[in-house]
Amino acid sequence: MTSSASTGGTHISRDFGEVRFTGVSKTYEKEGEEKLTALEGLDLLLQKRKTTVLMGPTGCGKSVLINLIAGYEQPTTGTVYMDGEPVREPGSDRLVVFQESALFPWMTVNSNVAFGCQVKGMAEAEMKEKTDHILNVVGLAEFRDKYPSQLSGGMQRRAELARALINEPKIMLMDEPFRGLDAMTRQLMQEFYVQLYEKEGHTNLFVTHEIDEGIFLADQLVIMTFQPGKIKEEIEIDLPRPREFKVMATPRFMELRAHALDLLFEEASKALAAGRKSAFDLVGALASSKDSCQVPM
Amino acid sequence: MSQSMNGERRPAKSDRLKKIFDKFFNIETLRGVSTVAVFCGLWQLVVYYEVPYLMYLPRPLDVAKKAISSAAAADYWVDWVLSLLRIFIGFIAAQVVGIPLGLAMGISRTFKEFTFPIFEILRPIPPIAWIPIAILFWPTRELSIYFLVFIGAFYIQVINVIQGVSNISLNQKLAAYSLGAKPKDIFWRILLPGSLPSIVTGMTVGMGVAWNVLIAAEMIAAQGGLGRTTWESYTNHNIPFIVVGMVSIGLAGSLCSVLLRWLGNRAMPWTKKF
Repeated sequence: MTSSASTGGTHISRDFGEVRFTGVSKTYEKEGEEKLTALEGLDLLLQKRKTTVLMGPTGCGKSVLINLIAGYEQPTTGTVYMDGEPVREPGSDRLVVFQESALFPWMTVNSNVAFGCQVKGMAEAEMKEKTDHILNVVGLAEFRDKYPSQLSGGMQRRAELARALINEPKIMLMDEPFRGLDAMTRQLMQEFYVQLYEKEGHTNLFVTHEIDEGIFLADQLVIMTFQPGKIKEEIEIDLPRPREFKVMATPRFMELRAHALDLLFEEASKALAAGRKSAFDLVGALASSKDSCQVPM
Repeated sequence: MSQSMNGERRPAKSDRLKKIFDKFFNIETLRGVSTVAVFCGLWQLVVYYEVPYLMYLPRPLDVAKKAISSAAAADYWVDWVLSLLRIFIGFIAAQVVGIPLGLAMGISRTFKEFTFPIFEILRPIPPIAWIPIAILFWPTRELSIYFLVFIGAFYIQVINVIQGVSNISLNQKLAAYSLGAKPKDIFWRILLPGSLPSIVTGMTVGMGVAWNVLIAAEMIAAQGGLGRTTWESYTNHNIPFIVVGMVSIGLAGSLCSVLLRWLGNRAMPWTKKF
């Protein structure tokens, strides 16, 4: 009830948030259609308080993987464990930030952020305290009475982060959350998120198509194969923390980047050979990002 | 232009008056008024020169006189009240039945599979085609008119609510579940407010159809009401009042629309354009 009970912002002592996939496969069967294997024999460990970044061509099952952790879908075989407990249903210890904003447009920023506390029946005073705190953390205190449509793209993203973080999740599942933001806002959001995460100390699973974003955020970079989705390689990103954008100019960053790009090119080419237009887009995007590595700020 | 009108003599006191004045007397209003004036002018000319087919039109001035004398008579206002009451009862009934039904059909696939086919068979029948059976079926004329107004607004609302529920994004529902919402929270905090814009659209469109049906029904079957009185003016050869009746119906209809729009904006502050 006192301030010590609310989210204090420092959870370095957290000792939970480990997700483990053991032999997880997910297949989709529709009548009259070919069986689609989205994930096959997946063994993966998301270490607690670390950031794992998933990359791979469209159709490698990244979103399925997120759905499995979130509890929106169940694996066909194998099990997903959250701190040793099999995942059975959605829960506020595993929160997703979606590609498109999933803020409720009919609620003010304040009500959106307080939603989780409200439906759990938290006392008014405690809820207000938590909301005030988290809105300050994401810098939206002044905008609490606005509706989502009144906010800029970057502010919407921050409101969405706040709505999740107020519940003190063990893991944040970020499904290309900064897609569609302009380049500048995107970089600011990345840095903002790194700082936030380094302070809050939850586990992260981050899906992205942007190699620089991926390496910048990751402790562990997981490259996935094109259909069926398997793990191609896990790369440990040993760049020092706390991280700033300057890290992108270091030789180590370049080295990691070149290696990851090679792997991604292989998979994207496979996807391209399979005739996927989206995969073609990805190859194009990667190619153009290869010569656009500048250091902002 | 507005500054110059704000008298240098007593700016503070006349500020509010000036605002009201500016709201009604500005270039935009002037444009609208000028078109109405030209229309009336052409109308007067057409009647004056006895243009073929149009010479039986009442003169604008006669209509205006008739309007003034009608407005002074109680009978005219009784017609207003009768029509508005019929709209009100039939329309509210359509919402009370239509919104829950639409929500149920939007939420439960099983329920929709049971109900949608019969709904789709009945829906294309124009409300006016219901007039004979409504008169036969209901014990009083008033009840049959309420029923017809109901039919006019009902189907549109059901379709809109179903649409509204299915328009809510999956991600929003998933996010709510993850955040710990129980089914009742999903209903009251997500599905209902999320489909509200569609519900308001359903009301607005339904109100238009309701007036169409009401006037047709009144002309055929009612005692009193704006539609009936307009029709009786035709049979009594009271031609200026036909036009007064038409304009009154138009005014009553737009009054209802304005009211609905106002209510809709009040209920959905988030849809305001910023």
